[in-house]
Amino acid sequence: MIEVEDLRKTYGDFPAVVGSTFEVDGGEIFGVVGPNGAGKTTTLKMIAGLVEPTGGSATVAGFDASDPEMRRSLGFLPEESPLYEDMTARSYLDFFADLYDVPADVATERIEGTLDRLELDHRERRLGDVSKGMKRKVAIARSLVNDPDVLIYDEPASGLDPLTTNYVLEFVRELRDAGKTVLFSAHNLYHVESVCDRVAIMDRGEIVARGTVPEIRETYGTTEYRVFTSVPLDETEREGDRHVVTVADMDAVERLRERASDAGGEVVDIRTREPSLEDIFLDLAADAGADPRGVQ
Amino acid sequence: MSAPRERLQAAVRTARDGLRSVARIARWEIGRSAGVVDRRTAILGLVALLLAGAVGGAAMAAGGVALDRDVYRVGVDADGPYHEVVRESPALAPRPPDVGRLGDDIEVVVRDGRFYVADSQKGRAALSTFRDAVRRHNLNRMRDEQNVSAAFPVVVTLQYAERAPDEGVVAGGGASGTDDGDASRETTGDGGSGDGDGDGGGGDGGGGAGAGDGDFDAVGGASGDGPIGVPGFGGAGGLLGGGTSGSPADISPPFPFGALVLAFVFFIPMNFVIQPYGSSILNERINRRGELLLVAPVSPAAIVAGKTLPYLALLVGITAVVALAIGGSPVSVAAVAPIAALYLAATFVGGMFARSFKELTFVTVSISVFLTSYAFVPAIFTNVTPIALISPLTLVVHDLQGTGVTAAQYVFSTGPFYVGSAVCFLLGVGVYREEDMFTQRPVPLKFLDALNSRIDGRRSMAVLSALSIPFVFIAELLAIAVLFVLPVEVSIPLLLVAVATVEEVAKSVHVYAGFRGPFAGQRGWRTALVLGALSGFGFFVGEKFTAVVQFVGLPNLELGRAAFGSAGVAATPTVGLLLLLAPLALHATTTSIASLGATRSRRSYVAALVPAIAVHTAYNLAVVSSLG
Repeated sequence: MIEVEDLRKTYGDFPAVVGSTFEVDGGEIFGVVGPNGAGKTTTLKMIAGLVEPTGGSATVAGFDASDPEMRRSLGFLPEESPLYEDMTARSYLDFFADLYDVPADVATERIEGTLDRLELDHRERRLGDVSKGMKRKVAIARSLVNDPDVLIYDEPASGLDPLTTNYVLEFVRELRDAGKTVLFSAHNLYHVESVCDRVAIMDRGEIVARGTVPEIRETYGTTEYRVFTSVPLDETEREGDRHVVTVADMDAVERLRERASDAGGEVVDIRTREPSLEDIFLDLAADAGADPRGVQ
Repeated sequence: MSAPRERLQAAVRTARDGLRSVARIARWEIGRSAGVVDRRTAILGLVALLLAGAVGGAAMAAGGVALDRDVYRVGVDADGPYHEVVRESPALAPRPPDVGRLGDDIEVVVRDGRFYVADSQKGRAALSTFRDAVRRHNLNRMRDEQNVSAAFPVVVTLQYAERAPDEGVVAGGGASGTDDGDASRETTGDGGSGDGDGDGGGGDGGGGAGAGDGDFDAVGGASGDGPIGVPGFGGAGGLLGGGTSGSPADISPPFPFGALVLAFVFFIPMNFVIQPYGSSILNERINRRGELLLVAPVSPAAIVAGKTLPYLALLVGITAVVALAIGGSPVSVAAVAPIAALYLAATFVGGMFARSFKELTFVTVSISVFLTSYAFVPAIFTNVTPIALISPLTLVVHDLQGTGVTAAQYVFSTGPFYVGSAVCFLLGVGVYREEDMFTQRPVPLKFLDALNSRIDGRRSMAVLSALSIPFVFIAELLAIAVLFVLPVEVSIPLLLVAVATVEEVAKSVHVYAGFRGPFAGQRGWRTALVLGALSGFGFFVGEKFTAVVQFVGLPNLELGRAAFGSAGVAATPTVGLLLLLAPLALHATTTSIASLGATRSRRSYVAALVPAIAVHTAYNLAVVSSLG
């Protein structure tokens, strides 16, 4: 549904995005993660046709990103919610539905439905007078007025309280379940890990890793094993009536099992600990810091 | 179905969709703008405006506002012939004719056929005012006569002829006021004296006639440069249809005061309307509000058109109402519409360049001051010199005077405004995109960004140069208008430098922008020469359009020849080919010089402009000298 090929953007001498390549399948949530200034927003805006790429290409629903027709298939949610604060939620959404050539009766039904799903009250109140969470919901509703196949959400939960954040993330899942393709950016890796089917990790304008979270974990992360023994060994620490040590692979676990046996005891429990996306990201970022362009 | 037909249908569909988008955004803009002011405030504002209009109208209907009301006290018998004169004059207040109070609270006393005047400056001023009042009173009485030729036995025919530039203004002040003016005036008649209005007693006629004469001389001096409209009798009298009869002392300069005041009414709404318009544009850039419009299936041009259309329609509507109210025809509306368009276009560019509302305020005030001055000041000379036609407001004055406007005059006056508006919108739309709208850069850098947004290859240099012509035209005409008051020996050299400076900057600023944008990686001297030559060529082609000046009589002026003669307007057949190609060589050369400097830095660009301007000025001087 989205194809990005060697997408690049340079501001003067500064390379904001350095040859991004990825594709997003229909009906999946694809996350782009990375720290501030990694190039996530620029990448998303190039795909949305807002920013002209210096090189490479991006297509959305079969249209080139620069094709105005592409915008009819796209719902874009910027990082901020830049609404017209003198308008009410209802009039704001009506206006955008009109711009997208949505027939009035269809627009009314769609807008009411979306606002109901988002549990948005105060629909006739001026947007300048509603809370940030409400504004975010209106912005999300705006991205759906044209019933697009593709949604590009830039930090959809940015600046929201935990309750609203969970609500928004859950809504994004619902959109995916309804068949929408969602390209999603965040610097909160927990959000990405909990919502996205696949992710790309960006750092300093470059994609340093991509795949499903398990794939990335397998490729870039290290599973740890916490081994509990009934007898103390040199490297173990006491934890209640047991002794525990963390090792990096199964060979080490086997060696511990033999030594515990030799000591007259046994391994009583083995627990695995999967690395979080954040752990992997921090490792990759640290590697990239040593060699800014050399992670992949 | 054939391919051309499909293409045509697609184009029609695209145009229809574009217009529909413009209409939607326009409707939305109207709704939002209307929502900014609540109903109660709007009603209060409307009432205040109506009240001000009613007061102003009543004041105008009552003969205008008299700032000097009752400033002089005149002692007259209540049943005497002068009592009515004093009562009619706003500046005079009647008092009992008590000579003993002269100098205390009375300035002039009329008693027993004699005039007693307080020995003070105010006393003398009061006498002068009293004398004028008597003249006016008598004149009005004569105008009321059925037999006009009996009331005004003197017939004056004015004919204007060419005059040597060193003929100065001849001082007035003669007694008769009919025949002591400059040589450009021919007076015929039966020799009747201008002081024939003399039942006003001693001291009437001479002073009054002298004043009229002096004014008249001043007008003759200013109008001797070309075949222009014939001044009417009396400033407001001639203008407002007072007829051709009158006293010779009634001859006054052809200053279209009444029409100018009325024409100025057109500007008032413009200065108000550009405020919300500029705010609306800047609002799109504050907090990235306009970002979502950019991602909607609407082009930036449609967004700008939709946001501008309501304000333009409002201004044209107000203009039509004002024209109707003051007796203007559709010509007035057609003349003011391009001014309104340029007001909005300049405000749009200002809104796109400004970083804050404070900066926007500065921009809109500058626009108001500049455009109002540009349009208003030349119009003062509507009946005096063709230079006045640089302002479309002059067309309004002509319309109100009933003197008519030719198509060439209309094109000359409004052309720069139309094209200038289009270019401003073009530049503004160029930066109406995510990458430029939301960045906080100084106004000059925004201007360079706007130029860069229109640079697409080397040919763009020629196009941008040609598009700069209306602004060059406006700047040069303004220079003519400003330097017009100076002696020719001073004004022409100054004008030559001004013209060279304006043109060199106009030709090279986009080259400089290009070297900071698309051509940043090609700063070699060859590129500089190619871009400079292309820019010079574009300017040369665009400059040919300034030939319209010959249709309005501007080359009849020496300053007009100095400014536009080099464009080939005044070329004689013998030097025609040379004058055709020489400007091309000049523009290509001088722009290349500036272009070489532009490759390096701003400082070197400015430094390179100096020799470019010097060469250009020398060329202009040579051309002007050779043309005599």
